[in-house]
This record gives sequence, structure tokens and C-alpha cells, in this order.
Amino acid sequence: MDINRRRLLQLGFAAASSAVPVAALAEQPDEAAAAEAKAADGASHVGVLYDTTLCIGCRECEAACNRRNNLPRTPVPFSDREVLRTARRPSDTAFTVVNQYQGSPSADQASLPHTYCKVQCMHCLYPSCVSACIVGALTKAADGAVVYNPTICLGCRYCQIACPFEIPAYEFFKPLTPRVRKCELCTDHEKGTGANPACAAACPTEALVFGRRADLLATAKERIAKRPARYLNRVYGEREVGGTAWMYLVGRPVREIGLLPLPDKAPPARTEAIQHGIFRYGLLPTAFYGLLAGIMWFNHRAHPEDGPGIGEASDDAAQQGAAPDEEVRR
Amino acid sequence: MTAPTPPPAPTVPVHDDRPHRVTKPFFTFGTVSLLIAMGVGYSFGVTRMLLGLGQVTNLDDHNPWGIWISFDVACGVALAAGGFTTAALTDIFGGRKYKALLRPAILTAFLGYLWVAIALSFDLGRYWNIWRPIFNWQGNSVLFEVGMCVTVYLCVLAIEMSPSILEGLKARIDDNEWGAAFLRRIEGPIMAAYRGVRVALPIVIVAGVVLSCMHQSSLGTLMLIAPTKMSPLWDTSVLPLLFLFSAFMVGFPMVILESIYANISFGRSPEMELLTPLSRIIPWFIGLYALLKLGDLAVRWDSLDFLARPGATTSLVVEILVGVVAPFLLLLNKAVRRSMGWLFLSVALIIFGVVLNRINVFLVAYEAPYSTRSYFPSVGEIAMTIAIVSSILFCYRFFVTFFPILPGFQPQRVAELERLREERARTVSPFWTWVIRGSAIAFLLAFVAIYNVVHVTAERGTVKLVESVRRVQAATPVFAKAPSNYPNRPPGYQNFYELKSEFLAGRSDDYEPVPFAHRIHDEITGGDCSACHHRYAADPSDRVGVDLVEYHAQFDVKVGGACAACHQDLQDRPPQGCQRCHAAPSEADSPSRIGLKGAYHRQCIGCHERQATTEYAPTACNSCHHPWTPDHGALVDLSGTPRPQDVTGLCLSCHPRVGRDILATAHWRWQGYSPVLKGYEHRGDVSLTMMVNNTCISIGSNMQECASCHIGYGWVDEKFDFSNPNNIDCLVCHDTTGTYKKEPGRGGLPDPSVDLVAVAKKVGRPTKRECGSCHFASGGGPFTKHGDLEPALVDPPPDLDMHMGQLKMRCQDCHLTIEHRIAGMSMSAPAVEGRVRCERCHGPTPHGVAGVLSRHLDDHVRAVACETCHIPSIARNLPTLLRRDYSQAGADRPAGVDRYGMPQYDKRFGTLTWGKNIVPKYLWSDGTRNASLVGGTIAPSAPVVLNAPVGEKRDPKARIFPFQLHEAVQPYDTVNNVLALPKLLGGYWVDYDWSKAISEGMKLVNVPYSGSYGFVETRMYSSVHHQVVAAGKALGCADCHEPEAITCTRCHRNAAGMALPEHRRAMYPEAKARMDFKSLGYTDDPARVGGRFYVTLGRGVPPR
Repeated sequence: MDINRRRLLQLGFAAASSAVPVAALAEQPDEAAAAEAKAADGASHVGVLYDTTLCIGCRECEAACNRRNNLPRTPVPFSDREVLRTARRPSDTAFTVVNQYQGSPSADQASLPHTYCKVQCMHCLYPSCVSACIVGALTKAADGAVVYNPTICLGCRYCQIACPFEIPAYEFFKPLTPRVRKCELCTDHEKGTGANPACAAACPTEALVFGRRADLLATAKERIAKRPARYLNRVYGEREVGGTAWMYLVGRPVREIGLLPLPDKAPPARTEAIQHGIFRYGLLPTAFYGLLAGIMWFNHRAHPEDGPGIGEASDDAAQQGAAPDEEVRR
Repeated sequence: MTAPTPPPAPTVPVHDDRPHRVTKPFFTFGTVSLLIAMGVGYSFGVTRMLLGLGQVTNLDDHNPWGIWISFDVACGVALAAGGFTTAALTDIFGGRKYKALLRPAILTAFLGYLWVAIALSFDLGRYWNIWRPIFNWQGNSVLFEVGMCVTVYLCVLAIEMSPSILEGLKARIDDNEWGAAFLRRIEGPIMAAYRGVRVALPIVIVAGVVLSCMHQSSLGTLMLIAPTKMSPLWDTSVLPLLFLFSAFMVGFPMVILESIYANISFGRSPEMELLTPLSRIIPWFIGLYALLKLGDLAVRWDSLDFLARPGATTSLVVEILVGVVAPFLLLLNKAVRRSMGWLFLSVALIIFGVVLNRINVFLVAYEAPYSTRSYFPSVGEIAMTIAIVSSILFCYRFFVTFFPILPGFQPQRVAELERLREERARTVSPFWTWVIRGSAIAFLLAFVAIYNVVHVTAERGTVKLVESVRRVQAATPVFAKAPSNYPNRPPGYQNFYELKSEFLAGRSDDYEPVPFAHRIHDEITGGDCSACHHRYAADPSDRVGVDLVEYHAQFDVKVGGACAACHQDLQDRPPQGCQRCHAAPSEADSPSRIGLKGAYHRQCIGCHERQATTEYAPTACNSCHHPWTPDHGALVDLSGTPRPQDVTGLCLSCHPRVGRDILATAHWRWQGYSPVLKGYEHRGDVSLTMMVNNTCISIGSNMQECASCHIGYGWVDEKFDFSNPNNIDCLVCHDTTGTYKKEPGRGGLPDPSVDLVAVAKKVGRPTKRECGSCHFASGGGPFTKHGDLEPALVDPPPDLDMHMGQLKMRCQDCHLTIEHRIAGMSMSAPAVEGRVRCERCHGPTPHGVAGVLSRHLDDHVRAVACETCHIPSIARNLPTLLRRDYSQAGADRPAGVDRYGMPQYDKRFGTLTWGKNIVPKYLWSDGTRNASLVGGTIAPSAPVVLNAPVGEKRDPKARIFPFQLHEAVQPYDTVNNVLALPKLLGGYWVDYDWSKAISEGMKLVNVPYSGSYGFVETRMYSSVHHQVVAAGKALGCADCHEPEAITCTRCHRNAAGMALPEHRRAMYPEAKARMDFKSLGYTDDPARVGGRFYVTLGRGVPPR
């Protein structure tokens, strides 16, 4: 038996025949269908409109979030605005934080020294974490909230890798029952009630307004139209990573206030297209299986006395030893 | 490159590539070292299990995956690729001569995957849920794909391993080795399984190759979920294909490396006759991979920024040059392929390249945008990784020792092989062959079917919802809940949740609501109502209205101030209230309209933030909102009947600084800096006890009685310890129950009937009731001394006091309190801890919106205090004492009742004269006053004025203030000409002997007493600041000025038709000649003759 060039070409072609459709499908996400499905779903979705130009950094939303979610007591009270001096991120003990940035929120408010920006789970319309979760512990509820079920969670933390906003926090110091912690829009699993965010209800300036996403988007556009000097002509979260339930009205570039400029395409669109493309109806693996089985059968037909190599204690030894490879013989 | 030395020719005469057990001692230096490494590493693993991931690893929310994933799992899977590539080569593509390498390769793969699973369970937070993906399918998840594929492939590998295992067990039986006795009993099943497995193997082997290709590529898809966090150097859609090709590429090098390593460590000569031809295949795979890798980089070249992260770029270059290009070039060389050393180096480079690639993709490329530190594995992570690798090596050693894996060079057990060949002869019947193969195929088809279902359901988006969310859907459809307060909203907008201001509800325990002082803000905006009332709606049902500026533009009126100039009927037709439009946030007719809470806050905060100074326009929450006192019910750990001092001790245990503050206050010391006392401006030692008054005459000689208004316990004589904070009476001010009261005559101790514990549990901010418990009762009883301070002010009607009644203001809203030092000035007490000024809120020109009169009224502020006009009369609710005559005291006369129902005579005080609704006395005052201290001489010929305010018309600092006058006839020392200081309680009021009482009293304050006393008329003033009325009820022009003097045309010469009948009408005509201009120093009514310094009226001749 020899491996010659013909065999190698066979091998290569086999690999290539599997590779070509993979590559083709990888770049062909079924975006139209996804968008259609999204639009149908999104009609019932809720969201929160956050107007950064109205936020006064009072941290009432943080306090309300802490109370509603029974998070641990904080070492400093929420009335302490000193903490605004340090940049913070949501953690396993704080699902939302307000950060302070130098400079006025908009050109319209030149006398204000600071801009405040609240961060929490954005509840993407097409959430990466939900797509990533291996068991579906993270799901998008009917009202659009991305909620978490710790019962079936493995703790793989792939959601943390996936999240483009870097939101999910993990209880790294719990040995047995760590959870992924993040804003769930105050969905109450125990009482079985849907989204009803405490932060929006607490906001004293109504910089946070909770409602149906479509209506909020219209509201946001209306505010921009009414006050073009105050707002940048964009709604952060309208299209970012496929759209998010939380939407930000901003008066200055988002990068300056700690938000990430993100592409419009939802990241799961690519991975799911690859996944479903390769494995659609199991065709490709089955065909590949058939191809390999055929080659195996072909080679076996030529040497019908051979069993499978793993189980076979072959008798070819003498033959092998007697006719060593050309190269070894030199 | 130096030519590698040619390998030694095979020296074993009889070559046998059949697998054999290795007959070497198992426990060697190597295996023991591996055991030690495993012990160290797994101790970290145990620590992780006990204390959590955070204790052992350097992982955090920004770097959730470390080397346990990137090396142990990702590299582990990649390096186990030797299993499926070799199986494909030997059993599918007919490379049967390499089958000697197959069993070791399968073993390596099996061990690799097994420890991938074990390493993963250390990394999983909830490792006990590792079985969940079998039941909870999530077909959109790449990780699910990988996980399921790996799980099935692990089963496939176990089946592929089983011939070796079963052969090894059979050999034990045959050779009668340890355990043979037991194994002999199950020899039948072992052989049946052996035959069955061999029948199923062809099907399983192909399945293994397919599964491997699936998950090797899916591993590459894994990181594509985070394109924004991945470095573009690696983030490409062909990453799965690259992963697959690199798995092909690294499979044979792993086999070669392992073969060379195993042979050398067992002291055998390497199987170069197999490895050299095998290595000839490798460059093809490298080429395939390099083509795709470099091609992909070239296609995306323009979008790559190599300078953004130099470290990452370096890593990529090393990965390509060292791991791909170098071995490719090396392996093209025939001499390299033949030399064991060079071959070893080449395959090691490939393996290094693939490992680096996996680490690059999973660690180096991943950069969390908010991460504050870069990840580097901890000692524990590294030790665990070493332990995992050691475990694989150890198990490899174990399996090759006890099972026939490695090809033997000495056919030592010919008999064994003969037997096995015999077994094979008695092979399974065709029926069973097809049953076994059929079930294997059915299993695979079922797998494909399940896979299909999972993917199709996932793709359709109907991912199985978690139980709880399903309940959420069933229980409350989110939009079915219409806001209860607004059922009449148009359809489509009832779905907006109403912000039932949880902020206010939740914070009401912490903060008081802010009483909005409308009028002040009116004045501050210069009468520009449009600053807040920015829209106008003619129709009450109109919830939107029109812009106020636009609305006024049609009348050619410019909005921007002095609205009242036209809108003189503001009281009758006030502007539209905020809540008329701002009822709820984001309503149907105008979704961007905010609710009442937001409207208030935004107006306030927005306006305050724009002001130049924050002194009058604070922006912090607690500068408008007063914090409530938290519930002390649980904090006050007292029961039974504690001593009052014990209660204070408990207060101080939490508020020690407050105790120190109090010890310095005037309320505690009854003395302090006295800038308002003429002659004592720079003194701090003038005590209240040194003052003489004409109510109870002297505090110093009546300490026991008077100290019942001291904020302390037990001040009966000079021995009282002013430095002991435990004597502070916290409760008298901070009681909120209304049950606390002091017992008269006990030096300030509380009434024994008071439940101190209950009071202490309910402490709070002082209200007017607590302040009033002393200040309403000054002079010996309620409404006695201060006609403007009476119990009704606890909750007065708006016309009694507009601050306290209409705005519900507390005392401390004006009497600013800092560290328990309370601003304010009394005409009786010497110490002053800050002044109360109307201007603090109202500014220097407070009459901004009163129409045409405002300038004239603001001019008055320079000469007339606010109180003069805005307190038209005092004692409007209850009568106040005007005069007492001590010379008549001591007789047993009937009390009599005057027209107010008050006693006209009291044995203790003599005759009493009461008055109600009295007009104050108006005097010039610059804020200071003369003082009568104990022992001061008097001139008894005329009425003695005890505390005359200082000021006169010519003094620019003086203004006309209202005062209440107290008249009295009281005893004095006729020889020394000093006011007598009798001891009343326990003195005069016992036996009504003036001489004895005076003697005792003056001894107490160390003033000599001659022994003879007489009575003298005295006068005492108290200032009038309370019972302020609003503009509509304040004095009118004609209340002070002669109506005829009030004309417009004297100055406004062209003011023809300007008639001011209402200004000629007195608001309080019953109080005639309220203002005695002559006694104030004017020659005539200043409306006629001009003010103090600046106006000469009568520039024209008044019209006849």
C-alpha cells in the first residue's frame, strides 16, 4: 500500500469539497428572513429611551436597581457622588452604573460641566448572548427582555465573550452556584411579571422613559427634530448590532461618553449563518459521510481481506518489512 | 542548513507492527514526576471547587476565558486531530501500512478529548450542570454545536479504543495475570463485545472523521460571535475553515511527535520507515492551510491595522513564520524527513504554530473594550494546565503498559495472536453483522435527525423558552395592563407605563417634598411667567396648547418679563398649571412630553444649572429636598424607664459630633457672641441669666423654673455641668410624638409620665411644635410674651402666616441651622448665631411683579422692613399680654375676665392687660439694641426702657421695624437704683413677701440689695417677625400715608388719567394713625415731604 499523489489529491479534493460550500455559506447570512422575523417580534418589544442630555447623575437609578434586585448593600450610599469620579462598569453586584464624563452633554448646554451616561444591559433585539448560550439559559422573553435562567446554566461564560457591550457579569467567587448577573429589565420570575424597570420609574428627570420600543423610537426622533441643536442626529441603539431595546439620545459623540461605536450588523447573524449553513438539514455532514464511506468501500474492495485498521492485528508485517518504503531504502 | 545525518538502518531483524503491551516497569522517574505535577495542579483544581474560580484564576468579567479554555480545551481538541486524520488515512484512504501508528494516535485523541472534558469541568462555573446540553438544545449556539459534537466524538473514540482494551483484557485472561480470575467470568461478554465492535468499526470510523471535521471547524466559529472584540488580524469568516485545515495539518505531526517520543522513552529505535513517508504528506496540508491563511490576510489586507496592537501583530507573524513557513520549508527537504532529529523539530514547530494560533484566536485576539487590565494566567491556572498535560502523558503510559497499543518489535506472544486470529475466524454471523451495523447507522441517522430538528427550530427563532419566562408570558401579557389612572388614552398609547413616581414614593422616607415658593421664583424671573409656563391652551381639554411666545406674537406682545403688567388678574385667572399638560409621561397626543415629576425637576435643575451662582440656585438633591430622619425604632435599643441621661447617652453613641456641637451652642450655654447688644458687641460672655426683663423679671434668680426651657437636664444652680454632653436634652427638639414635655421647676428634666423610650424611637426633624414648646410659651405661658408666636403657628391657616401656613415651612427653613447653631435674634437673649433675613429668599427688590407700584414698593425696602407692611397686626389669633403690674400682686382679689376671656388679675403677677389684633409699635432699628443687665442702674423718674432698639431716621442702616411693647410695673431697689430681682417660684409666690423674695433672688445673682424696694414703670420691646401675610393682605399705601398725599401726578407730570383709588383705600382702616411719622423723625408724612435721603417730592404743583 502506498500513499501516492493520486491519493493525496483524493484527500485534498475531499477536504476542498467540504470546504467550498462552507466558505460560500459563511458569507451568505440569511439577513432578509432574519430582519423580517425581527420586525414581527419587535412590535411587541418594550424598551427604555435614555436621554443623556437630561441625566443629572443622581444615581437614583442605581439605588432603585439595587433595591429591586435585592443586591448587596453598597459600602458607600447611593447619594455619594464621589464615586462618579472613577469609571465603573456593571458588575455582579450592580446591574447598572452611571458614569461621569468631562464636558457638557450637548452644544446646547454649554454651561454644564459634566455629562452622565448610564450603562446596563441593552437588551439587543438580536442578542449575541442568547445566540451564544449553549443551553438557552439566556433567552429573549416575549416582551423583549433578555432574561436568565440559572437552573440550566453551565457557567461557560460564553455570553460574556459574546456580548458586544461587555455587560454580563459573573460571580467568580462563588464555588458552587455562580450566576451570570445582568439587568433583566426587572422581569420578575417569581411573580411571573414582565419587564418593568425600576430605574426608569426612579429617574427624577425622566431621562429614562420606559415604553414600547417603536413608540420610544418615534419619541426619540421627535425630540431630535425639535431640538437639532441639542441632539446628534442619531439614536444609539436604533440600529447598533441589529438594534437594542435600550436607546440613547446623545448630544456628543458616543465614544466620548463611554459608548462603543458598533456596526449595524448583529454578530449572531454571521455565526448562525455559518452554523445553519454548514449543517442545514444535515446535508453536508451526510454527504461527506457518504463520500468517505464510498472511498473506504472502494479501497476495501481492492483489498477485501483487510479489516479496519484499529481492530486489525494485520498480517502485513512481513510484507511491510520485506518491502520497505522507497524513501527509506534511499 | 546543514544536511541532517541519515538515520540508522533498522536493526530489528523481525519487524512486527502489531500492537503489543509495553513490558517496562510502570513506575519510573518519569511517571512519578507526572504524578507529582498532577498532585500540585489538581490541588489548585480542588481549591477552585471549594472557593470558586476567582480565587484560583486571573479571570474577570472582561477576560472570562483564560488558558483553561484556550489551551486545555481549544489546543487539546486541535492536538487530538491525530486520531481522526490517521484513522482516515489508514482505514478510509487505504494507507494501511501506517496502521501501526493508528492505535497510539487513537489513544492520544481519546485521552486528549477526555481531558478536554475534565479541564472544562474545572472551568465551568456550574460544572454539575455539564450534562444539560443533552436535554437543553440551543441550535444557534456554536458552543452547543461543539459540545454535542465533542460528546458524540468522545463516544466514537471510546468505541475505537475498545478493541485495544478488550484485547488487553483477553491477554490478561490468557496470561493468567492479576485480575484474570474475575475477568474470566466475563470472558464471554468481552469476546462478544470485541467481535461486535469490530463489525461496527468501519461505520464508526467514518463517523469519527465527519464529527471531527464538524467540531474542529466549529471551534473556529466560536469566537466569531464577538467581531467587535476580536482583533481583525484573526477575525475572519473563514476562521472555521482555517481551524479545520490546521487540524488536518497538525494531525500527522502529532502522530510523528508522539511516535518518536514514545520510542525514545521506551528505548526503541524510531519507526522512521513509517514516519518519513508520512511526513511527506504534511507539506501538502501546510500548503493548503497557508494558502487559505495568507490568501485571507491578503484579501482583507486593506482593513488590517498592523500597528494598532504591535504585540498581536508580532504574535501573528511568529505564528505564520515559525509555525507554518519554517516547517513547510524544512519538510520539503528529503534529508529532514529522514532525520529523526530534524523531523522532530519540524513537527514540533507545526504543533507550536497551531497551539500559538489557538491561543492567539482565543486570548490575544480577544480584547474587551472596557477591560482595565490584560489577562495573564495565574499560577493556579498554569499548574492546572501542567497537571492536565501530565495526566494525559501518565494515562498514555498506563494504557500502553496494560493494553496492546504500541507496535511491538519482538513478537513475544505469538500464541496470543494465534488465539485472536482464531477468534476472528469464529466471527459473527451475517445476520448479527447487519444488526450491529444497522443499529450503528440508525444511531447516526438519529443523530443527524436530532441535529436537523435542533437547527431548524433554532433558525426559526423559536428557541425553547425557559420555564419562568413561559410563565411570564402566560401570567401577564405585557401590554394588557392599561394604566389605571388614564383609561381614556387613545388606543395604541395605553401601553405606555405610567411612571408612578416610585422615586417620590420610595424616597418619601428619605426626603421631604419641596414646597415650591412660587412667588419668589416669580420675582427672580422678573415676573416672566413664560420661563416655566411656556405654552398656552385656550380650551381646557387641549393637552398640548400653543407656544406662549407665538400666542402673544399675534397681539404684538413680546413675552419675557413683567407679565403682571397686563395680567393684573393673576389671582383670579392664574396661568395654566403644570399638571394640566404634564399629567403622565409620553402620552398619546405628544409622546415626547414628559410627566409632572420630570417637568418639575427639569425646570428646576435646568434653570438652576444655568445660574451664575449656586448660592440661590443649588443643584444638589438635598439642597432643595430635606432628608427625613430614618426610623429610629430599631436603632433605639432601650426598654423600660431609662434615665433621660441614658437616652442622651444612646443618642451620642451614634452622634458623638452632635454632642460636641451642642456644647458650643447658644441654646445650650444661653450665652455667646452678642453683636447686637450695645456696649457688649465684642463680648461672648453675656448670658441670658444676666438679663433683666419685665415678665418674670430675672432668669438668674429663678433658674429652677426658667431652666425648664433649657435644652438640658438638671440646671438648677451654678453647679450644672455644661461640659457633660449626657445632660443634653435631645428629645425636647427631636420628639415627633407630641407627648414629650418638661416638668416645670425641675431644671429641665422631663415629666415623669413621659415614655422616653417611645419618644426616642420616634425622633425626627424638629417641627414648629417642638420649637414652639419653648418659644410659644415665653413670658410664662402660651401667647404671653410674643404676640407673633403662638401655638396656632404649628399648623396655621394661610392668612395667619403665609410661610408656615401656605408654604408649610418649618422654623429652620428661615432660621438656618448649621451644626445645631440656629440663626435668629431675640430682643431678650444676648447671643446671636446668625441672622434671618427676608432678602435671603426674596432679594433686594422683592416687589417685581406687583405692577406699576413695584418700583415704589421696592423703594420702601430701603426705609421700611418687610415685616412692617407684611405683619399688619399681631396676636391675630389669641390675645397677648400687654401690661402687668407687679405692684398690685399678692392680694386675694377675684381674677375677673376681660372681653377676650383672659384673667384681669393674678395674685402672682398683679393686674394684667390683654390685647388682641394689636398694631405693633414702629421704631427705627439698625438691628442692635440697648441692654439692661442685672445690677445696672436706672432712672426711676421715667418709665425704664429695658431693651430699646437702636436707630434713627438719619442712620442709613436703620429701617422702620414693628415691635411689640410690653409694659410693666416692677420692683426696684430704691437706694441703689437697680431693678430688683426677686425669686418668684419658691419665693414671692409662696408667702408674697416682696422684701424676702428680692433679698433671696438678688443673693442668687450676687447683686447687693439695700433692703428697701419700690415700683417702677418699665417698657420692654420684642421684635415682630412672624405671622407674615402675603401681598394681598399687606398694608396698603393709605394704611400709613394720608390718602390725599398719595398722588401720581406730582411726579408723573404727564400722568393724566392715572387714577389710584385703590391706593387711597386703607387695607386696615380700623387701625388709625398706625405710623406716627412725627415720632419717627419726619416733619410730615413722607409721601408729602419725601423720604429720608433722596426724594424731594413736589417737583410740580399738585393739580387742584
